[in-house]
Amino acid sequence: MSLIFALSPLIVVTVGALLLMLAEAFSKNKEGLAVGSTMVLTAGGAFAGAVWMKGFEGADVESLAPWLIIDRFSLFFFMLLCLGGALATLLAGGYLPEHRLDRGEFYSLLLFTTLGAMILSAAGDLLTVFLGLETMSLGAYCMTAFRRASVRSAEGALKYFLLGSFAAAIMLYGFALLYGITGTTSLVGISKAMRAGASHGPGAIFALILVLVGLIFKVSGVPFHMWTPDAYEGAPTPATTYMSVAVKSGGFAMMLRVLITAFGDPQSMSWGSGWPPALALVAVLTMTVANLTAGQQESVKRMLAYSSIAHAGYLLVGVVAIMRAHEQATASVLFYLLTYTVSTAGAFGALILCGRRGAEAVSLEDLAGIGKRHPAAALPFALFLLSLAGVPPTAGFFGKWFIFRAAMDSGFYWLTIIAFINSVIGAYYYLRVLVFMYMREPAAGAPVATPMRSGYVSTALLVSAVLVLALGLCPSTSLDVAVQAATGLGG
Amino acid sequence: MLVTYAPMFLMLFVAAAVSGLFFLGASTLGTKNPTPEKMTPYECGSESSGGNHLKLSVKFYLTAILFVVFDIEAVFIYPWAIRFRQLGWLGLEEMFGFLAVVVVALIYVWRKGALEWES
Amino acid sequence: MIPLEAYITLSAFLFVIGGFGFLIRRNVIVTLLSIEVMLNAVNLAFVAFNRAHAADANAVGAHTGQVFAFFGIAAAAAETAVGLAIVLSMFRLKRSVRTDEADLLKN
Repeated sequence: MSLIFALSPLIVVTVGALLLMLAEAFSKNKEGLAVGSTMVLTAGGAFAGAVWMKGFEGADVESLAPWLIIDRFSLFFFMLLCLGGALATLLAGGYLPEHRLDRGEFYSLLLFTTLGAMILSAAGDLLTVFLGLETMSLGAYCMTAFRRASVRSAEGALKYFLLGSFAAAIMLYGFALLYGITGTTSLVGISKAMRAGASHGPGAIFALILVLVGLIFKVSGVPFHMWTPDAYEGAPTPATTYMSVAVKSGGFAMMLRVLITAFGDPQSMSWGSGWPPALALVAVLTMTVANLTAGQQESVKRMLAYSSIAHAGYLLVGVVAIMRAHEQATASVLFYLLTYTVSTAGAFGALILCGRRGAEAVSLEDLAGIGKRHPAAALPFALFLLSLAGVPPTAGFFGKWFIFRAAMDSGFYWLTIIAFINSVIGAYYYLRVLVFMYMREPAAGAPVATPMRSGYVSTALLVSAVLVLALGLCPSTSLDVAVQAATGLGG
Repeated sequence: MLVTYAPMFLMLFVAAAVSGLFFLGASTLGTKNPTPEKMTPYECGSESSGGNHLKLSVKFYLTAILFVVFDIEAVFIYPWAIRFRQLGWLGLEEMFGFLAVVVVALIYVWRKGALEWES
Repeated sequence: MIPLEAYITLSAFLFVIGGFGFLIRRNVIVTLLSIEVMLNAVNLAFVAFNRAHAADANAVGAHTGQVFAFFGIAAAAAETAVGLAIVLSMFRLKRSVRTDEADLLKN
């Protein structure tokens, strides 16, 4: 019984996804699918919360190891992924009918992708890491290609797919080398072999490089970020929301598990001969390149895509800090992912709300003057942009604050300074959207965006706005949760 | 190690030499008298129809993709069948769970009309 | 008995061939084939390492590498299915399967 209880979040999402897939095939009525999948994801998150409260220790749960590890770290990610997924399904419930994309496969794809990300966050073996990664990525490729009449959608999906499979193949070769060196595929077993001296060989370093390439690709760090803006711009906006929220969280869950558990030995985690300096370089490049490029975008959707790359850069700073301040830095990364999820989902949701069929809000010009014409759509957008920029008292401020604190406490002053300068640059392009919304008038004769009406989108925005303010005003409870989740993770 | 494979390499060499000799002989010794009838591609004796760059219908791809995906699932049944007795009831239950998922996918494909050839 | 090094060398060659094919060819179908070659190189490495590691065929975990190869094959098939579907949807819109003609999205 306790085994089924511990696995209940995964079971709920799996069974729910299969049932919705059948329901979609057998019924003509597409109305209930958005509600159904939101309910499935909410239930998945609620079960994860129940398992967290009730405790999950026991021989049965231990017997799942190393394949699936149910600990507070994976439960935290279950809840986070279900939250991100539920917000994206709500946005899809409004966006897809409005833009005549209303085919029910979207919801099943989203649920299976969430399942893949959940498996990824609980994976304790290279095999389950690989399976979760493939489940998550394949669903995301399909969701990107969902606008079948749009060449941009097809091109974005093609680039995403080709580069994604290439990176997965490279990482898989790294896995094969790790298996060859250590004789095991379990992350804990690899860690033991590494501590026993396997990490000194050239093979181990080569394997680490290959695995790092795959990990950095999946969280879209520079220089492996080229697919991100194209895929994010081509995809329908709810899919973009989902990819920048849940797929990215899944990528970070995998990165933390693999790097901290398998490569957590003193040799691999040192500044002289391990992954931290490489990752620090990637973090600096990611933040700088993404922030400088985001400022030049005319398309708000593409700007938000670059902004999500920049946020991956801040998160990587936190991952580097894990080297010296294990629990504090891990907790700060987890908390940042939470704040980033609600702010980004809200920002994309507000962008969806500002447009309607035939007049989708895409560029800055489209949004000109919308603050005066439609304050109800512009106000939440402003809130989420301020949160992404890290202005107090929003969630984004505390997310950045804890990451920077962790980096300072572990002695990475230069990294903190670079990250701080970058967040100041980042504020520029978020505020630029605000300037267009509130201080510009649309050019005469230019098409103006008119907001759509949808209960689904409004609900998603309301939930995100409440969470952004709640996390910004009293972050301590959720930070405690993040700290508890971080304690579970270790070599 | 090389000694073990020596007969194989010898065989390869002889085969290449003999067939090369025949080709060379036929093209140098034989007389050539081409007619349009002789130059048409050989299609088992019947009249040739159309060029060789025929566009295949997209239906073939769909069926082929579905075949590959469902065919590959059988690979997971194979190791289970080998260790059938050791895995016992737990293995049987899990295999039925796996098959149930595959059947759901099959029902989905069928309902969506992907198995219909004429549509 | 062929030594482990021979298998690993072959697998590394296959992997590099696939990688180069991916990087220099512009036809999407050939690019898909190259990815497939890379994945098969990985499978070969897994099976070869498995034989080198498994001294006792009945021990727990003695077939991990082979099982990994099975999952690799299945994932590669699913990947190809999704990839071909995306290529088809692009072909329907653009009448081309060349990656250098997918150039609508630029900064």
